[in-house]
Amino acid sequence: MSTAALQPVLARPIRRSVRRIGLSAELLPWLYILPAVLAFGVWIYEPLIRAFMLSFYEWNMLPFSPQKWVGTQNYSNIFALQKLWQALGNTAIYVVGLLPMSVAIPLAVAIFTHDLKGRWRNFYRALIFVPMIIAPVVAAAVWRWLLDPQHGILNLALQGLGIAPIDFLGDPNFAIWTIILITGWKLIGFATLILSAANANINPSLIEAARMDGASSWEIVRDIRLPLLSSTALFLVMMTILLGAQWSFTYINVLTAGGPLGSTTNIYYLLWDFGFSSMSVGWSSAAAVVLFVGFSVIAFGLFRMIERYSFYDN
Amino acid sequence: MSAIGKKLARILVGTFASVAVAAPGFAQTIPATVDKPVTITFYNYNLASAGIGADGTKKLIAEFMAANPMIKVDGVGVPSTEMNSRILADVAAGRGPDLAQVVFDGLDFVANNMGASALEDIVPADELAEHFNGMSKNGLELGVLDGKTYALAYTFSTPVLFYNADLFRKAGLDPDSPPKNWAEIKETALTIQDKTDAKGFSTGVVGAAASGFDWLLQSVLLSNGGRVMSEDRKTLTFAEPAAAGAVKMLRELHDAGVLENSSSGSNLESMNAGGTAMFLNTSAYQRALIAGAEGKYELRAAPMPGFGDTLATPTNSGSGLVILSHDPLKQRAAWEFMKFLTSKRGYTIITSEIGYLPLRTDIVNDPAYLKDWVAEHPLIQPNLAQLERLQPWTPFPGSNYRQILKTMMDAMEQAVFGGGDVDATLKAAQDQAQALMPNNT
Amino acid sequence: MTTETLSLPMSTSGLQSRKKRRQANLAIAGHALMIVMSLFAVFPVYWMLVSSLRAENHIFDTALWPDAASLDNYAYALSAIPIWRMLWNTLVVSAAVTFIQLLTGIAAAYGFARWRFRFDKFVYALIGLTWLVPIQVVMIPNYLLVARMGLLDSLPALILPHFASAFAIMLLTQSMRAFPKEVLEAARMDGAGSWRTLWEVIVPNLRGIIASLAILIFISTWNEYFWPLLLSRSAENTVIQIGIQMFITQEGTSWGPLMAASSLASLPILLIYVVLQRQVIQSFMKSGIR
Repeated sequence: MSTAALQPVLARPIRRSVRRIGLSAELLPWLYILPAVLAFGVWIYEPLIRAFMLSFYEWNMLPFSPQKWVGTQNYSNIFALQKLWQALGNTAIYVVGLLPMSVAIPLAVAIFTHDLKGRWRNFYRALIFVPMIIAPVVAAAVWRWLLDPQHGILNLALQGLGIAPIDFLGDPNFAIWTIILITGWKLIGFATLILSAANANINPSLIEAARMDGASSWEIVRDIRLPLLSSTALFLVMMTILLGAQWSFTYINVLTAGGPLGSTTNIYYLLWDFGFSSMSVGWSSAAAVVLFVGFSVIAFGLFRMIERYSFYDN
Repeated sequence: MSAIGKKLARILVGTFASVAVAAPGFAQTIPATVDKPVTITFYNYNLASAGIGADGTKKLIAEFMAANPMIKVDGVGVPSTEMNSRILADVAAGRGPDLAQVVFDGLDFVANNMGASALEDIVPADELAEHFNGMSKNGLELGVLDGKTYALAYTFSTPVLFYNADLFRKAGLDPDSPPKNWAEIKETALTIQDKTDAKGFSTGVVGAAASGFDWLLQSVLLSNGGRVMSEDRKTLTFAEPAAAGAVKMLRELHDAGVLENSSSGSNLESMNAGGTAMFLNTSAYQRALIAGAEGKYELRAAPMPGFGDTLATPTNSGSGLVILSHDPLKQRAAWEFMKFLTSKRGYTIITSEIGYLPLRTDIVNDPAYLKDWVAEHPLIQPNLAQLERLQPWTPFPGSNYRQILKTMMDAMEQAVFGGGDVDATLKAAQDQAQALMPNNT
Repeated sequence: MTTETLSLPMSTSGLQSRKKRRQANLAIAGHALMIVMSLFAVFPVYWMLVSSLRAENHIFDTALWPDAASLDNYAYALSAIPIWRMLWNTLVVSAAVTFIQLLTGIAAAYGFARWRFRFDKFVYALIGLTWLVPIQVVMIPNYLLVARMGLLDSLPALILPHFASAFAIMLLTQSMRAFPKEVLEAARMDGAGSWRTLWEVIVPNLRGIIASLAILIFISTWNEYFWPLLLSRSAENTVIQIGIQMFITQEGTSWGPLMAASSLASLPILLIYVVLQRQVIQSFMKSGIR
């Protein structure tokens, strides 16, 4: 936050040395970033640019097969998908459903555990962080096992309470919320950690001053902590909007394949299903372009909003 | 790809070939024997799973290599769902496999897009005829496309109605006369659900349990005289009255509370745990089901149900062996290996240790091969009997075949489980998918 | 608020005790909530371990601890696939990726934090945008590239595409920008070049954040699935996540061995976490990830 202000100060003394050393200093920063830039160029941007070009062709990827120009056919195929609107709607549900677990609950946990004694704080935080280290494939397998309609411990518990078993992954009314819950389960730990870190960085003298003024602990949270945590929270909101669809991908892929009745499919999975998994270069390239451009536009909009908001905050 | 595109591809392949290697894509007879050491790569999906299928396949490879010291078979495990994309990626990378186990729904794509060799083009006719002698005609037919054998039928299974005889007795039904048609399935399932706590029926025809495959669905449509596609493979027909009629029957099952949109995994587990009375699915589950039923209940098997008095017309799930190598020596080596895999000995191992159908039916009565095993495993009988009535599992054509399949399967799920009008749902999907057929693009 | 400090001592103490009571109640409610949340977080992992220890015919039991713990599932899983080899491969790949991403990340972050140069913001934004590129789109082209390099069925193929990480670069850039400029200035006065300043001044001072970053990279590489799935050819040259997937077959899932393999795949990471847990969390706190 304050780092941007520091940068020019940092850069000034170096400018002087630049003049002294001359051209090589112009190149120096490039030498440092070169390995990373090369890696991204080779492994990400080159394929992406090629995908953009190939999205106007029909081709099966084999070097000896002809690439057939089809214009915008691949794009119109994608926008004609019957499930497209359902997938877009579900994508919104995923984001809204994830927000409590990626922002609200972690925020509450971070603030609450901050005031606890050291041992309890570490204990709770250590436990909440555990799901983050479990591999998504393992998580999917374990949750499927827990939620099984016949043998899952959860349904057996429900039966013990006299409730009929629920097919958590097979009932269109439950499936999407189940996937959201599993995605959130993996997320809570990380979000909590990030928010706890931001919370710990709040200058204690601010809190102390407020306490001296007799502010209640709720008032301290409301008037000091929440406003100061808002930029971190906003960052998490942005991550959830931009990456929520990707985070849930493994679970959709392993647990429901988008079903039942398309109830768990989201835009990312749908385009993967019809594009990347289908081995047709045209479809998958067009799908990639749609995803990248779509999410970049959203990202740009969000950045603008945050900038405006932060300005107001200052 | 259009016909012109295909021709162009052939010409291009030919041009490349004359410069580089020995004429891929052109008919060329392979050498009579393998006279120097050669290694062939074999993509196989049984090798990609832990357990029975992998062990049986390794045994087949080991036996073959012991008998043919010149040939080394390098078995590579690739999950069945990844198989086609893996072959494509590796062919594109110039490192395609020499031999691959291809699921039949990808046959058209592999044959027309990946330069697979038809057996008629590389193997001398008399040798081919000699090997085909004794193999199930219906089975061989499944690997044929445009009059040529691109895939040699390898692992096969047909839809079988597995049932829990104990649950039948508990519901006061006679386990010796299992349901023969869909109306009886509905009646039996309702009786069982009425009299016991168990689920009456589950299958993998549509919805989550189909896992994206349409072979069981095609069996049901064919049994009612419907097809997913016209005989010339140009026009989709899955919304036509005969096909839609079969789908409406499934919808009725759902509305009556007999058919649920559950996953294939939980269907199998429920059957294994004794919680389901009838389970219509691939005979490849036989091994898992026998293991699950052991000591718990009496497992039996019956042929797939038909419509009314007509017997069902099953299709198969399974795979064929496709030669992708263009090197004559490797083609010969691959062919020798294929001959072993589909020999009497090969099918003895495939049937008894992996669990698929023997496509050489005579070995079933031969004491040197499967006679004793079949006597101990009567469950395989309906499966064998259905081989006589087998119809091909028709692959969709063109480079959009996966999207066509997905569009159809989504509509089927919607029509059976999602409410709404069956005819309208299927028609809309058929129109959309028709636009993706090769002659339309 | 000032009225409170002016009020009589008696009423103040009354107010304070009420306040204390309210706080105590709040704390109890808070602890209850935290216990529920912790259970939610840990129970699935616990259930995985317990299920892996059940005997084959007791796999559907619901007792919180198996009556007779059995290692049969582990024995079966170990005999079915080369788990030790896969774990070793995963370890090699994860360690190499961690090391490489830290190197490229530290260097790039230094470039962005210390200098301003033409297109710096643009390049930085491009690096950030890589987060939005669906990995599935670059997978097949990258596969072809790896194949052309002759690296199929080898561990380098699993490592190379992870040469740099946008997350590492952005995180390190932020921390380096916040680095006290006096220290840098002092180093410059001592005549230290940019390279020496980086390794002798900045990196030692960012130990904490580099350590936590290393752990994050290690975990995410360890858990990676889709790229190894595409590359996997032989069980001997693949990673543990692919091994796990082998127990989920068309013929149904063998839950016991699956849970055993999953446990074996998770245990190394869990152990690292248990041992380093305090350091990880502390360094996150100190470094102030925003």
